[in-house]
Amino acid sequence: MKRNVTTIIIGAVLVVIFVLLLFTFQVRRTEIAVVTTFGKPVRNIDEPGLYLKWPWPIQHVYKFDNRIQNLDDKFNETLTADSNPLIVTVYVGWRISDAKAFYPKFPGGGVANAERMLEEMVRNAKNAVVGSNTLSSFVNADPSQLKFGEIENDMFNMVQSDLDKNNYGMNLEFLGLKKIELPQSVTQAVFDRMKANRQEIISHLQSQGTAEAMTIRSAADSAAAKTIADATAEAIRIRAEGEAEAAKTLPTFEQNPELANFLFRIDAITKSLNQKSTLIFDERTPPFDLFQELPTNSVPNP
Amino acid sequence: MSDHEHHAHDPDHGHGHETAIPEGQDAGTQALAEALRSSFLIVKIVMVLMIVAFFCSGFFTVGASERAVILRFGKTVGGEKALLGPGWHWSFPYPIDEVVRITNSAEQSVETTVGWYYTTPGEDLNDLTGENLPVTQELNPAVDGYVITADQDIVHSRATLYYHLNDPIAYTFDFSNAQLIVQNALNNALLFAAANFKADDILLDHVTEFTEAVQKRATDLTDQYHLGITVDDCTVQSIPPRQLAGVFAAVTDARETSAKAIYQANSDATATQLNAGAEASARTNQAMVASTTYVSLVEADAKRFNELLPEYRTNAALFEQQQINVMMAQVLTNVGDKWFIPESANGKTSQLRLQLNPEPPAPPTEGENQ
Repeated sequence: MKRNVTTIIIGAVLVVIFVLLLFTFQVRRTEIAVVTTFGKPVRNIDEPGLYLKWPWPIQHVYKFDNRIQNLDDKFNETLTADSNPLIVTVYVGWRISDAKAFYPKFPGGGVANAERMLEEMVRNAKNAVVGSNTLSSFVNADPSQLKFGEIENDMFNMVQSDLDKNNYGMNLEFLGLKKIELPQSVTQAVFDRMKANRQEIISHLQSQGTAEAMTIRSAADSAAAKTIADATAEAIRIRAEGEAEAAKTLPTFEQNPELANFLFRIDAITKSLNQKSTLIFDERTPPFDLFQELPTNSVPNP
Repeated sequence: MSDHEHHAHDPDHGHGHETAIPEGQDAGTQALAEALRSSFLIVKIVMVLMIVAFFCSGFFTVGASERAVILRFGKTVGGEKALLGPGWHWSFPYPIDEVVRITNSAEQSVETTVGWYYTTPGEDLNDLTGENLPVTQELNPAVDGYVITADQDIVHSRATLYYHLNDPIAYTFDFSNAQLIVQNALNNALLFAAANFKADDILLDHVTEFTEAVQKRATDLTDQYHLGITVDDCTVQSIPPRQLAGVFAAVTDARETSAKAIYQANSDATATQLNAGAEASARTNQAMVASTTYVSLVEADAKRFNELLPEYRTNAALFEQQQINVMMAQVLTNVGDKWFIPESANGKTSQLRLQLNPEPPAPPTEGENQ
């Protein structure tokens, strides 16, 4: 009896496992699924977990990756509204949002076919939006003129609108510009323009340097002249103050102007005759007039 | 069922019951029964070991730079924030539970794939500025990258974004390739920032602001995409097109020359102003000294005058003669040349004639001779 119980338990476990395998399925955290009954989609599974189903061939479960997929657009040349050829590449993040809608649209190829279709939509939207904007909307130093974000939004809305309209069961999560470039032949023209601009900058820098240096020097000279002029004026004022102060002594000299004048002249002569002077005098000049009384060795005139 | 029959079919029975084998069975049957009993025992042991192994297989370790999430029947155990840290853990074996490991290194980084000219990895490492690499006349958009600046110039630029995960579950489970999306966000950020800045700002004048603009845009986009990352830092390297390296170098030279001229002018201006200040100070100081000296001298003269006035009034002629003689003594001591011209015997004064020649004319030059 004991042997039979063990056998029954083992058998039951095996049966349970087999039944579970037949009647249940798991949906992972990164998946969504659709259940078909005789090939017809009947149930969406949006949340992860363990679910029941009828065994094959009655029901079948198709699982899809519902993580955000990245798609890089292939570059192609487009004309802007002001006829500038531009090569724009975008990237999009998309996910399968409705497996029940997605499965019938792409029954065989799945994600690969969906990406091909999405790439076509993105290219159409990109061409339309680039064609309705000028080059200055893509690159501009003035933030009010730059329409980078608006361009991305317009492309996003056009693609999402197409997806919704056709009920592909796909959702666009984000779209961004990845590359903005110019055709190969145009880059040479841009280089020529940049070169000419730089030559102009070189000339400007040279003139600017010289002019600015000259301005700085002349300003400094002017300021220096003013400083010296102010100092000269101040010096004159100081001397004038001194002279005014000295003039207070005039009443002293007015007691005897002849003596004052005599003393001033004596001082003037003393100060003016220094070591570099040559003094020529004769016998009448005091104190050499004393020599008149002495015999000389001069030869008398015939 | 008799006891004998029960024992005959019970594989658990040991060898001590061999005597209970029904009579009439031959040795072969006994051996077969023995073998069956042994086989059942082995199967039992194997089954027990398998059950033990099944449950033991649920043990797993999470490394220091990892986190782990348990998916039970595909659903995250413990909700969105149920991250298992480093150490030992246990989960039900597959297919009940599934352990997903998440790399949680301190910092991750991505580099832009747009904006830089074509190089092979070796070339890029050996020549960061590309000075020694072959240069084509034009840029091929299929292989060469660059950004168009706000003034519609072309500049090569590349960025590296450093980040760490703040929501590893979202980073791992919500994106098929999260790192690729971070990279595209960085590509977009570089493009967007370049579209706002002029070429010279990117290359020279506002390098830091440009880098900050790239980082801000990348941060905004990764937040908007809910990537579950925190941007730590961003570095940007920008160079002019190699086709214009010569003219850009000339601009740099001109800028340096201009800056040098301005610097020299400023230096000269400073010297001029300092000299002027010194000259001004000297003039005012001299004036003060002269004024003070003059006042002192005049006061001294006045004092001297007051002292001499009584003597003068006593005998003016004698006083004057005395002063003249004192003066002459002093003058004759000081002067370098003293010429004394005595009177002739006839009483006439001798004449001293000096011929002062003007400066001799300069000799004529060769040009003037011709």
